Amino acid sequence: MAARRRIPPEQRQFNLILALMATDQGLTKQDILSTVMGYADRYDDAGDRDNLERQFERDKEDLRDLGVPLETVDQPGAEGDTKLQRYRVPKSRYRLPDDVEFSAEEVALLSLAAQVWREGSLTEQSRRALTKLRAFGHSVEQSVIGFAPSIRTRESAHDPLAAAIDRRRQATFPYLKPGAAEPELRRVSPLALVNHEGRWHLHAHDETVDAPRTFLLSRIVGPVRVDEAEARAPRLDEAARAQHELQDVFDRTTATVVARPGSEADVVLRNRAGTVVENEALTIRTTDLAVLADELAAFGAEIRVLEPVTLRDAVLDRWRRVVSAHE
Amino acid sequence: MSDRDPVRKPAARAGDKLALLLGLVPYLIDEVRVSVTEAAAQFDVSPEHMRTLVAYLTGTGEPGPDGLYLPQGLFDIDWDDFEQRDVIRFRRAPLDEKPRLSSREAAALLAGLQAVAALPGFGERADLGRLMAKLARGASGEVSPVSVNTRTADALRETVAAAVAAGRRLRLDYVTTRGEREERDVDPIRLESVDDVWYLRAWCLSREAGRTFRLDRMASAVAIGAAQQHESSVDDAGALFRGDAGGLLVTVEVPASALPVIADYLGPEDAVEYVGDRAIARIPLAHRGLVGRLATRLAGVGAITHPEDARAAAAQWARAALAAAE
Repeated sequence: MAARRRIPPEQRQFNLILALMATDQGLTKQDILSTVMGYADRYDDAGDRDNLERQFERDKEDLRDLGVPLETVDQPGAEGDTKLQRYRVPKSRYRLPDDVEFSAEEVALLSLAAQVWREGSLTEQSRRALTKLRAFGHSVEQSVIGFAPSIRTRESAHDPLAAAIDRRRQATFPYLKPGAAEPELRRVSPLALVNHEGRWHLHAHDETVDAPRTFLLSRIVGPVRVDEAEARAPRLDEAARAQHELQDVFDRTTATVVARPGSEADVVLRNRAGTVVENEALTIRTTDLAVLADELAAFGAEIRVLEPVTLRDAVLDRWRRVVSAHE
Repeated sequence: MSDRDPVRKPAARAGDKLALLLGLVPYLIDEVRVSVTEAAAQFDVSPEHMRTLVAYLTGTGEPGPDGLYLPQGLFDIDWDDFEQRDVIRFRRAPLDEKPRLSSREAAALLAGLQAVAALPGFGERADLGRLMAKLARGASGEVSPVSVNTRTADALRETVAAAVAAGRRLRLDYVTTRGEREERDVDPIRLESVDDVWYLRAWCLSREAGRTFRLDRMASAVAIGAAQQHESSVDDAGALFRGDAGGLLVTVEVPASALPVIADYLGPEDAVEYVGDRAIARIPLAHRGLVGRLATRLAGVGAITHPEDARAAAAQWARAALAAAE
């Protein structure tokens, strides 16, 4: 017999999809491990059996991650018995619906959409989506139009939180509240990731205080732990709702600032989204006064905050801290 | 400046390779007869790799009822076409369906489209909304909850975008980070955004060089005639954030847990040292005027530790701000 050749993982997984799509009543784990190419060639080696079973569990996860509808059917009368469970992939849920076709122009727009992401899981997911859409035979070239929007996902919290939402798991992370010196641990049901005014927010249900909360990803200052505990389910339009709520807060939360005429602060704050100019005073908007305090304090002597008083104090406090830290 | 190749391809992961098989099979069936080079180009792989993939496919298929792989269940191609003419033509295919997108794949493209909708001229396009609906229907489950807010373009962005599209020269009233107002005539190349900040890449006629201008630093932009063509720059967008070379290097110290607070000051090449639970980073600044701004970012968690005159400048900058507030 020739030396055993390991079949690459993607080929084993593709073989698995083909086998599970060909069956109506489903295959048991034993059926799969003993017949499907990529498993069957290692099945006779009893010492390798545990590895093979673990391999199968990982493959199931990978298939689901890729959107392959892997169904588990319990044996009647033996619910939950994994030995008797059957697996199958219904073709009707695997294939794109007949009325979903993408034209060359649509694929070009989707390529532009994929280029928005600079790194992380959104880049990876877009790339895989485009690979599947290459099936339509249209070009997926880098767009050369004169516009290129991009959004970074540099916060290391982004990917684990997206995975936690996807697997509906609670997550725990250290959060540094604006103005606080020490981070505190928060345990949440993550519900949606929302980019508002260029910042990534996590909309979540805070399990410790049992109330909805929104967190800035840039202030998650340590590793995100994805817990075993099941999380609350996001509502159908969770991301859109969270987006509207942030926008409402943004429209409602205003501050009045005077900038030295013609200064950098004057030009930049006038160009800021939502700014209203009245005589000398600029009314500016924010989702979070503490975040705005950081932004305004950076302009130094070019600005004076008129109101609210809490914002004025927060800005003065930042300058005092700069003085004391550098004397 | 980064010396990494901006178009370098990331290493393909197992998931990417499986997605390639899932997309490739229905493509080859739909095309009926396609050359190896054309199929390779469509999926951005080498012709050699494409031949390997086709050879693999001919050895797999669906097992029969008794678990055996029989010839009638396997993929089969026209071998003469393949071996003599380098052409792929399937004669039998147990799978010819196009796959759905996963919830997260659909979400990534959908949120990307929301960002595209913020481009001047794109927000009003009805086809964008139809495409978003279609993506949701093409997903295997509920689209994952990710969203980007879409702010319609303001007048300034419209003006700049129109100049990019029509090749018009712009006269800018521009404020620099040094606080200086400058009049610059520029020939636009590209309008870009990074997160919520918009940039115009342009050829600057007064500097006779490619330059990047932030839209929120433009007090005004007026079209003043036809622009000339210039070489397009291919810099990575991340490079937009890097200070000019030859500036000032300062050392800052913060608790390691607070390092994300200054993430956008740190380039990929900037060294961070860890001493216990403290992080010490060296940050390049374009000029001394930015010291106060960096110190403010650190307020409450850390400080500039070196050089001494940068520390003095930070303290003086903050005292001036406090004095102006009186």
